[in-house]
Amino acid sequence: MAAHDMARFALKTRSSMEHLFILITMGDLLGVPILPPYYSLRLLPYVVPQVATWKRRMLREKDLTDAIY
Amino acid sequence: MNSALALILSLAAGLFTYYVYARYVDQRIIQADPRKATPARLYMDGVDFMPTSRHVLFGYQFKSIAALGPVTGPIIAMQWGWLPAFLWVIFGTMLIGWVQDYTSVMIGVRNEGQTFGALSYRLISPRGRITLLAFIFFYLILIVAAFGKIVGDMMAAVPSVPVAIVALVIVGLGAGYLIYRKHADILYTTLGMVVLALLAIWLGTSLPVKASPVAWVLFALAFSYAGAVLPIWLYGQPINYISFYLVFLGMIGAGIGVLVGHPSFTIPAFTQWTIPLGSIWPLLFVTVACGAISGWHSLVSSSGSARQLEKEIDARYVGAGSMISEMVLAVLSIIIAAATFASFAGYKEALGKGPAFIFATGMSGLLSFLGISPEFGKAFAGAMYVILAITVMQLVLRVARLSTTELLGDYVPVMRNMYVTAALVAIICWALIATGTWQYIWTLFGGSNQLMAALALMLVSIWLKQSGRNWHFTFWPMLFMFITTVVALLMTGIKLFKAPALLLAGKIKPPAGQTVAVAVGGNYISGVIAFLLVLAALVLVVDGLRVFFTSRPAAAGAQAGQTASTAD
Repeated sequence: MAAHDMARFALKTRSSMEHLFILITMGDLLGVPILPPYYSLRLLPYVVPQVATWKRRMLREKDLTDAIY
Repeated sequence: MNSALALILSLAAGLFTYYVYARYVDQRIIQADPRKATPARLYMDGVDFMPTSRHVLFGYQFKSIAALGPVTGPIIAMQWGWLPAFLWVIFGTMLIGWVQDYTSVMIGVRNEGQTFGALSYRLISPRGRITLLAFIFFYLILIVAAFGKIVGDMMAAVPSVPVAIVALVIVGLGAGYLIYRKHADILYTTLGMVVLALLAIWLGTSLPVKASPVAWVLFALAFSYAGAVLPIWLYGQPINYISFYLVFLGMIGAGIGVLVGHPSFTIPAFTQWTIPLGSIWPLLFVTVACGAISGWHSLVSSSGSARQLEKEIDARYVGAGSMISEMVLAVLSIIIAAATFASFAGYKEALGKGPAFIFATGMSGLLSFLGISPEFGKAFAGAMYVILAITVMQLVLRVARLSTTELLGDYVPVMRNMYVTAALVAIICWALIATGTWQYIWTLFGGSNQLMAALALMLVSIWLKQSGRNWHFTFWPMLFMFITTVVALLMTGIKLFKAPALLLAGKIKPPAGQTVAVAVGGNYISGVIAFLLVLAALVLVVDGLRVFFTSRPAAAGAQAGQTASTAD
């Protein structure tokens, strides 16, 4: 239980990198076209498992009180 | 009263609350359903929303809520005698404390893991959210100021502590480096680092470091500043991680010490209705802060635990269970204050050196029943106390930095720079500590803390009413906490505004080490904060009550308080 914080932090770090990666590659899904679609499509199969969660996290309203813990 | 009996009574009260009242609310009113998908399972993203074992979550919640409040408040409240504080800790927790923690978890769970900012926006009004954020900002500053002052006094009063704290920082940094950078085995690293920290405490007993309280306050603020701006994996987290074990060892040791030594209470059960701090109502209820009820818990519950709860039926264990454990911690500190000194006069004299000194002395007494030398016991207790404060201070300063950016970043571009915002918040806290009168700062902190609790209970009451559930068990405690706290804050505020005239006339003396001019300024600053807190709370409560009385239960089948998901 004491290490729970650390585990969460490690996961947060990984997820923020993942977000960035998917945003760059699959930005089209949210209307942010960055890569030409050709490359996006080539990468799509690898990203499919994360897309649903990623979209939800990106589109969820954030509030300052989220940051407290 | 025998201290072992007090401890056993509190345990019995806790178990009764958990198995009878909490179970009733959980099953009959909230109707926790193990089959309902919690936000953690619904929105599992491996980060914020992550189903977590209830035992891990219990430890996490307890570690997050147990700080200086339950330890310091009861020690100060002993001036009324031990009985009022004891009764309030027990009944406050039984009737209000756990209710707030548990319902704060459940309101988050039933509202897609939304936190208080979003909930107040949706349930009350957009103005409600902004007011709440401003309120939280002042509240956070008061936490840092109240805790910082205590740390300063403690490190000056017990010179064996500083070496241990500096060593703890080094040990924490080492642990972070080994675990994150070198991928060392977490078990061996933890063991090694905890042993090193204990060795450092022992070393501190033969290496006393003397400095003024002011210097130690600056040290504590510098420590917290580093925690607020450095990457969290490097500094804040590993230090908190190692600290957890020290605090845990201390609590277990104190509990066993009470049962082995079972000293009797030496101070009277009741002294008088009015002490220099003020009258028993409302002041006792804000002086004993987190041991009975605390707004901080609601923030932790709704932002952290609600998003990680695996099943709804775990909420009672996590929310109510950890609050009841904290009640036991508060009872331990009542025992420490009431059974350590030979008489009430001895307690009063020790209080002059600060509540932290009382804690260190009493704790070393309890540990000595286990054969631990008083010198080491005192250094250990001192270190534990400072750890409890300083780990929360750095976290709070971090959040205060974020909220400053959020509130002012759009209008003042420089406020987006984290070094500037963290420094600004630290300076405001320093100004409060340097000029304020300690006991009033503590009262303001306690007041803001209990007001936060009342606001949390009000949000929950609105949600309960809108979803057609019984709201009485949160509404009436909310009203009691709100009226009590507002009266306490107004009384304190008026006192603070009256003090400058008396100071200038020479009728009262400024606190030790302060000039009259500084004390006058400090009184005005604290007084303004008191009134601002009351104002913010009034705006929120008036808006909230208007919504509360006009809201009707939603039609059956349509769960009020459920918003359309933003997913896909």
